[in-house]
Amino acid sequence: MSETEILDIGELDQEAWQDYAIEQGWSDGLPLVMPTEASVARMVAAAHGDNEGFAPISPRQVIPTLQSLAANAVMAGAKAEYFPAILAGLRGILDPSYNLHGSMATTHSCAPMVMINGPLRQALGVNCGTNCFGQGWRANASIGRAIQLILLNVGGGRPGVMDRSTQGSPAKYAFCFGENEEESPWAPFHVRRGFAAEDSVVTVMSGEAPHNINDHGSTSAEGLMTTFAHTIAQPGANTIYGKGPYMVVVGPEHAATFARDGWGVDKLRDELWLRARVPLAHISDENLATYAATGHHPTGDFLTIARGPQDIHIAMAGGPGKHSAFIPSFGGTAVISTRVKLPA
Amino acid sequence: MRIVNPGFGITPAGAEQATEGKVDWLNDPIVLFGNSKPNARELLEGVKAKLGLVRRTDNIDFIAKTSASQGAPLDMINDAAKKYRIALLALGD
Repeated sequence: MSETEILDIGELDQEAWQDYAIEQGWSDGLPLVMPTEASVARMVAAAHGDNEGFAPISPRQVIPTLQSLAANAVMAGAKAEYFPAILAGLRGILDPSYNLHGSMATTHSCAPMVMINGPLRQALGVNCGTNCFGQGWRANASIGRAIQLILLNVGGGRPGVMDRSTQGSPAKYAFCFGENEEESPWAPFHVRRGFAAEDSVVTVMSGEAPHNINDHGSTSAEGLMTTFAHTIAQPGANTIYGKGPYMVVVGPEHAATFARDGWGVDKLRDELWLRARVPLAHISDENLATYAATGHHPTGDFLTIARGPQDIHIAMAGGPGKHSAFIPSFGGTAVISTRVKLPA
Repeated sequence: MRIVNPGFGITPAGAEQATEGKVDWLNDPIVLFGNSKPNARELLEGVKAKLGLVRRTDNIDFIAKTSASQGAPLDMINDAAKKYRIALLALGD
């Protein structure tokens, strides 16, 4: 990685540029947009509302400049107006409780989950509905990808070098979605965390890719909870010993059923805390011995995968269909929400 | 053609740098720093046994950070830095 902020790379056509960028180690494997001075300047101009400095980025531990961050956003294919949301997400990731160094160096498959709330979702065209975790939306794809490229290029989280993930995850390309506030029966996630409804907020967590929760048959909150709890209670969860948070992203049809039966977010969290526990019979004797030796003792006949209801975070996203999702975390991390600073 | 370097970053002022010093690999105290993952202790015990073939082992000690996923507490790192000349980390799980 060069220590010069501006590089003269000579005259390169598209193909030569892609080869050059890949040789530098700048790519996630996909083609990159060239971060010319002009395109980076347009991106930087969109961040005029945000003058706060940044902490060093692990594992390389260097302080980024607004230009180097913008260069990664350009390369990811982001529009300039996405940049404030990218910066808000990065600020959350740089909060010490996120544990970026640990989550980058781990063998676990965690990636930065990015969820957007507030009016910016609609302004930027962030998909909160059908296929919200999937492909097809530039904002979702390039905001998530920009954050990953920043961690690769400024942070130095190179796969196989300082990113030691055993298998990685498709979520490491891009993992960004919006909450479907308009169809949710509950208050928006950011409002429940103390922000104003008119604030735009980016929430991050070091998480696995979403695990599907399919329940087409249950027509009651009680029935759905049985499926949710047993899907979430996995003996292979990182949080069975590295206790920490997890997200449950409820699909709109499941959310409507919970709400019809009078279940709010607090009730969901409380019930998941009590029921989404792993029976000791599902855990090998060797693992039980290891967990005991490292201070992770059973609660009755179960091991919990969280420290309490406060570790369980509920949001609503997706479109029609009887599916929801569980997003386990790395464990030693936190769910961090940051208000997007927009130009006045 | 000029571009902005996407890897550019500034080293923080006052960032600690490793200082080169003389190390006596046969006699200096060594800490074997475990990461609390399963088998880390066993791995480091193997390292100690191997070291015993070529050097003294009465001043080789084990410590372990308290969480597998969190960094070691600063006090633990500082104490180890004061007491030992060499630290070996469990690199595998």
